[in-house]
Amino acid sequence: MTVLPPLLLPLLGVPLTLFLRKKRKIQSALALTLMLAALGATLALLATVLTTGEPVTVQLGRWPAPFGITLTADPLAVFMLLMAHLVLAAGFVYAAGSTEKVVQYPTFYPLFLALATGLTGAFLTGDLFTLFVFAEVIVISGAALTAMADDRYGVEAAYKYFYISTLASAFFLLGIGSLHVSYGTLNLADLATRIAENPSAPLTMAGLAFLTATFLIKGAVFPFHFWQPDFHAAAPTAVSAMLSSLVVKVGVYGLLRLTTLLFAGQTGLLPSVLVVLGVVGVIYGGFGAAGTHNAKRMLAYSTLAQIGFMLVGIGWGTPLSLAAALVFTFNHALVKAAMLMLAGAMASRAAVKSASFEVVVGVGKYHPFAGVLFLLGGLALAGVPPLNGFISKLLIFWSGVQAAQYLPLAVIGVASLVTLVYVVRSFVKIWFEANPEAKPKAGDRLWAPAFLIALSLGLGLWSQPLVALAQYVTDWLGDPSLYILSILR
Amino acid sequence: MNLLTALAIGLLFAAGIFQILRRNLIRAAIGLVLISNAINLFLFSVGAYNGIAAAYANATGQISDPLPQALVLTAIVISMGGFAFVLSLLYVISTRYKTSDSDQVTGLKN
Repeated sequence: MTVLPPLLLPLLGVPLTLFLRKKRKIQSALALTLMLAALGATLALLATVLTTGEPVTVQLGRWPAPFGITLTADPLAVFMLLMAHLVLAAGFVYAAGSTEKVVQYPTFYPLFLALATGLTGAFLTGDLFTLFVFAEVIVISGAALTAMADDRYGVEAAYKYFYISTLASAFFLLGIGSLHVSYGTLNLADLATRIAENPSAPLTMAGLAFLTATFLIKGAVFPFHFWQPDFHAAAPTAVSAMLSSLVVKVGVYGLLRLTTLLFAGQTGLLPSVLVVLGVVGVIYGGFGAAGTHNAKRMLAYSTLAQIGFMLVGIGWGTPLSLAAALVFTFNHALVKAAMLMLAGAMASRAAVKSASFEVVVGVGKYHPFAGVLFLLGGLALAGVPPLNGFISKLLIFWSGVQAAQYLPLAVIGVASLVTLVYVVRSFVKIWFEANPEAKPKAGDRLWAPAFLIALSLGLGLWSQPLVALAQYVTDWLGDPSLYILSILR
Repeated sequence: MNLLTALAIGLLFAAGIFQILRRNLIRAAIGLVLISNAINLFLFSVGAYNGIAAAYANATGQISDPLPQALVLTAIVISMGGFAFVLSLLYVISTRYKTSDSDQVTGLKN
């Protein structure tokens, strides 16, 4: 039964924090406690999965597998869950020390916990329709949180995101319908079995196309990304750190499930499409980030580029490149969340609250500690040793060499150098340029980004545990029958 | 009947897509509703024509698949909530800009 606590703790927090809406301090402390407890539960779940070597599965209402709703913590789910809960816990710590007006609103913590519930559920569910429901929970809570942001344009950004995401949900439902009419089931394990038995049922490829489109929109992959920089830049800092590091990973997770489980071996052109979109995303995101005038927007564009690396890893599809994509996913979540928090913390210390370079220029003069963190995070983003970003890029490049994919490799190698340019440029702008208007000012606390940067430094110096874990997950993904057997028995 | 349903759903879909491509944000929101209803009907028709008896215990005749009906119920609730949310966002936007023309809602461009 250890699957349920990581999901139920934040879910329980939603009504509880809503009841405590008048008692701000208790509400915030309760939300933080619940999230830390959920992180503890996730670690316990990880320990169980690793020691038994088998996924932990719960059939809700004790309906047996193809009929009921399955929650399963298989190695991939537990890997993503560990990443999500580490970053979410840091996000709640940041929100507790944030000076933004939005964290004072009574509905902030209930919505934030709903976002956490949605993320947890999306990774844990073993059923396509439940995945749709949890994805909707993420979309609605994320859009509502952005709509009430301090940023004046939060409402517009939320509208844009919500509109596009609703269309993505429409595609998701179409995909679900197409697969249900062909195979009569929505349980991932059952569906994977039936697709493997008869891959040429009438609407199978339509279902694959719809689901791919959904996950590409959710992951803000290149041609579907136009909402993403606006949305991530306008969201409240604590939330934007989650959106840019975790919410887009639901798309990556979905694509991993499509290619390694549901349509394992029947994906047709999909891997090549992913590689092409990934490479274009790396180029476009890199140059987009270099061209912006706002620190948060720059980091949002950078997410576009980093998602590109993960897609390339998934597209190559060799065991090593999948492991590299997983390591990249994990490391990117830590670093991107920390960087967005630092950009937001600097914006909160500026004269006017904005992350625009015109405003935050020179603000860092009085905050050298934040500068050290930002530089470390930026170097991790660019993939400079000894930080964790180096390990992720090394693995991607190494897997590309092994798969003999030299052309995409060369392109993303060159394009990833742009990262160094924009990171260093923003660092110099915020910490070294003179600005007479910048004054020492208290702002958001730096505990959360410090924790995340320490973690990424640690995972850069001693990367073996994470890489070993990713390889364990990849071994598991390599044989879809393991997943199917663990659920259908 | 099958053909008629398929045509109706297709028509609804086409109308929705046409509305989505309009510049007026309110029309676009209505297009969203048309599309989500078209999809609900599609999802419903996935299980509609296998049988006509409802899925009671001891039902006689060929039972229709009850799962799509349950899915549609969930999807209807979600799309209704989503539509209400879109309209409330639109309300804020249109009072702020005094227009619902998407070309004039340009706050994010700067």
